[in-house]
Amino acid sequence: MPKGGNGALQRGALAVATLLSASLTASLASGYEAEVTARSDAQFYTLQSPYGDPLLRRRRYTQTLGLTVYDITGSYEPGAPQLSARALLRMDADFGQDARERSPSTPDRYIPGLEQAPLDLMYAYVEGRGYLGGLLGFRAGRQYVVDALGWWSFDGGLAKLSTPAYFNVDIYGGFEQRGGLPWLSTSRFEAQGVYRGDRSGLAAGDWPSFLDQSTPAPAYGFALESSGVHFLSTRLSYRKVINRDEVRLTPFDDGSGAIQVMKGDRVSSERLGYAARVSHESLGSLHGEAVYDLYNQLVSELSGGIDAYVTERLTLGASYDYYLPTFDGDSIWNWFSHNGQTTLSGRAVLELSRRFDVALSGGARLYTTDGDPVTYGAYQRSSQLADRESIKTLVDHFGDVSGGYRWPSGSVHLGALAETGQRGHRYGADLTTRQRFDQGRYDTLLVLSLHDWEDGLRPQRSATSVGYVAGLGHELIEETRVGLEWEHHTSRLVGQRYRVLATLDLTLLD
Amino acid sequence: MPTPPQPTVPSRRPVAIERPVAITRRRERPRQLLALLAICLAALVTGWVQAAPAPGSPQGAAKPPKSAEPKPAAKPGSAAPAASQAAHGSASSAPSGSAPGANVSAANGSPGAPQSGYVHGLAPLPGDAPVPLHLRPPGARADDGGPSPIIFPAQKLTIRFNHKKHSQELGLTCKACHDAAASSQKSSDRLLPSPERCDGCHATDHRDLSAVTADASELIGQCGFCHIGYKEGDKNRVARLTLPKPNLKFSHKAHIDRNIGCEQCHGAVEELELATRDQLPRMSGCLKCHQAPEPARGDAKGQCTTCHLTERPGGTLRTQFPQGQLTPPNWLHNAGHTPDWLERHKYVAGADSQLCSSCHTEKYCTDCHDGRVRPRKVHPNDFISSHPIAARQGGQRCTSCHQQQSFCVGCHQRAGVTLSGPYGQFAGRGRFHPPKAEWTDPPRSASHHAWEAQRNLNACVSCHQERDCLICHSTAAVGGRGMSGMGTSGQGVNPHPTGFRSRCGTALRKNARACLTCHDPADPQLRECR
Repeated sequence: MPKGGNGALQRGALAVATLLSASLTASLASGYEAEVTARSDAQFYTLQSPYGDPLLRRRRYTQTLGLTVYDITGSYEPGAPQLSARALLRMDADFGQDARERSPSTPDRYIPGLEQAPLDLMYAYVEGRGYLGGLLGFRAGRQYVVDALGWWSFDGGLAKLSTPAYFNVDIYGGFEQRGGLPWLSTSRFEAQGVYRGDRSGLAAGDWPSFLDQSTPAPAYGFALESSGVHFLSTRLSYRKVINRDEVRLTPFDDGSGAIQVMKGDRVSSERLGYAARVSHESLGSLHGEAVYDLYNQLVSELSGGIDAYVTERLTLGASYDYYLPTFDGDSIWNWFSHNGQTTLSGRAVLELSRRFDVALSGGARLYTTDGDPVTYGAYQRSSQLADRESIKTLVDHFGDVSGGYRWPSGSVHLGALAETGQRGHRYGADLTTRQRFDQGRYDTLLVLSLHDWEDGLRPQRSATSVGYVAGLGHELIEETRVGLEWEHHTSRLVGQRYRVLATLDLTLLD
Repeated sequence: MPTPPQPTVPSRRPVAIERPVAITRRRERPRQLLALLAICLAALVTGWVQAAPAPGSPQGAAKPPKSAEPKPAAKPGSAAPAASQAAHGSASSAPSGSAPGANVSAANGSPGAPQSGYVHGLAPLPGDAPVPLHLRPPGARADDGGPSPIIFPAQKLTIRFNHKKHSQELGLTCKACHDAAASSQKSSDRLLPSPERCDGCHATDHRDLSAVTADASELIGQCGFCHIGYKEGDKNRVARLTLPKPNLKFSHKAHIDRNIGCEQCHGAVEELELATRDQLPRMSGCLKCHQAPEPARGDAKGQCTTCHLTERPGGTLRTQFPQGQLTPPNWLHNAGHTPDWLERHKYVAGADSQLCSSCHTEKYCTDCHDGRVRPRKVHPNDFISSHPIAARQGGQRCTSCHQQQSFCVGCHQRAGVTLSGPYGQFAGRGRFHPPKAEWTDPPRSASHHAWEAQRNLNACVSCHQERDCLICHSTAAVGGRGMSGMGTSGQGVNPHPTGFRSRCGTALRKNARACLTCHDPADPQLRECR
């Protein structure tokens, strides 16, 4: 097995060491406050292959453990520098896996990269605020960056400079969080198109198309963000990630059994993003967002919208969204992206009262392609440019209705959607009711759902699903809650499917 | 008094009242006495002291009278429901401040007996007329429903009070009754005057609340004149007035010290009779100063935590209250958590790195963005069954949360729906893609998939490996070398979009791996890019 017990132990030890060191750091200071959170989730359900088998038995146990230490340097004082530390560790185990799925010795079942109980450190950093008279802040450790470029994570340092000139500057550098790194990482934040992981135990020629070896990838970036101008929010972001791992050039050998590889620094992703929003409390809001991919040299995302506060209770809006898939610089699929998907939509939000509001939206998605869908494939060679340069646009339509009614101890929410187009349709609605009792000591959940979908390309996959979810929660003591949810769906495809979710939430404050 | 805490404003006329010594100005006493005399005379002339309607009737209790016309006398025995209704009816958080109209009748000669007839002071304006916008607090809107019920919970106003009369006719300043505001540094401070302060003019004695005395011969001295729903003989009890403390940090002193007048936050209370919740500040009014450019706002910091309660430790805003969940108003950065907020929150988060973190910790965000338990608010129920339609037809934005190779492909491989994968078990199952008639038969061809890939490339990548594409798309030299052992070779099918040649050089310099996966280094086409 590539994921030996030793590796798991090492990762676990590292995680514990991280949390302990954070605790130790905190204990050295006086006046600190610490918060320990733990959440345990147990999920039991099955997934059926479209062929009928295999039946994947998911017996999942997810455990998160969080530690936050506030005011490490002393008691909180408004305006004074603050130092805090945060860490969140997670184990996501699936005890329903077949052991053969993790063993390269059974290639008929082996899934490269599959782990039974991966551990990952979601974030772990020390943060300082308000240094140098409030001008400087920083973060060091594993942390997130959220901006127009997306939701991203890296290990390193970030400095935040708050200037008196209506803008702030963020500068950061480190290593992108990637799957398979020895320090408790996931592949969630990598660019698309490449799957990196732990190849220990695998020969170089084994499963080259599925799993690449992961090595630290240097990354850096900056952001300029407006500050202190209440009607305007803008953020300009730049980020570059560099691949340094040894990667195979092709999954095929060269005939002699050798695998050609590439080494050296090369771009994984390099993007520039800009997001802006202008708002007026009486009139409405304008927003725009753009991402330019410097590696692909194209605009990969472009969006904009306007919302008008027509009355105190009615907001009308319209938006435009363009999206073109881009991938890691190592991925060939960058060169398969042709035209993006454009979404035009309108929305209306009606706040009937503070408790009752409704939102409606609808629009069209436009898929633009080179060539006619019927004849395109017949002219596959590059010499047939005449056909490829003709443009065809297909349109799908969608509409959503959502609304909620809230009262102090509960709520009811309706979410309904309708999407229809050349690839079929999806219609459906969920009605969700939540109610708390005994001042929140008990809570209940009831979801009723009805969904119908038609697969335009594979009619045998069309179905109507009826389902419900019933849940009960109980606050055992303050900040400690147990919950149990029962989910049941019925459809032609899966027959009866059940899912059980049990949770335990725990928070301790020092 | 049923009024929000109000610091003083400069008095238009110096006034004097008898009992509140601190604010009495002796030289004004004659004017005060004259005013009281005038009130009594006016009351006699206009018939205010005439009989009232039955307190238990809708006109008498649940709704304020629409006019000052004399009403039939009340039956003493019907007063109890009136008191009850008054207490509950006045809990309304309506901006107009509708208040019950139960009163004390002097007609039956019994001090404090219920009556109605004097209709003032029961609502902001006579007849419960809507309060014009210019009299409401700065930032209030015509149909805003009053201030946030989370910040300012619902009140029960069981007191009649006519601010306009006290201010404009009697010349009292805000400070005359709400003098405690000047030194108040907490929003929970009680800034209503003690009832003894009323004694000077109202001929009552509240010094001992267990034995309050009143002068039944004067209308304004009767208990029921001010205490709505007061019932004679009920052990001198009055309905409880409830003004919950605001869920807010606020220092009246800090604002008064900066010479900020009452009306700058509370509107023109002196033009109104009863001051209701509607005269409490609006956040948009606060932000007039607190979000002004830094040189102008001075110490009025613009952070959310300046005013909002925070969770300690952590510093994020407290959002859960017994009255409900605190969410931003729509006009604030367009961040109202409307039912479609999930769809558009990225536009707010992308442009402002701080706004979301005012209330949410990273853990809140990761529950969805990097979660391991399916969040119900993101995907509809039974999404696992319908997700293929969504992935092919929907927004293609699965990648905003899911890494295709590890999340999508990993599961698809396990379920046996990929071309490349654990082939032993799933061999001979037949095609997963649509029937040949739709996918490959003439006039379409085996390469029709290329058009589908243009339409939605992410749908392809969520199942297929690079290897699946290279078999045909790599050039002959590369593909032939790699697949020679299997009797196939790369066919060099060009997947590049039109216009690709203009940008291939830069891409090649930045990362040649993807190029060399299909092209031999000596490929003439590759040389063109160099």
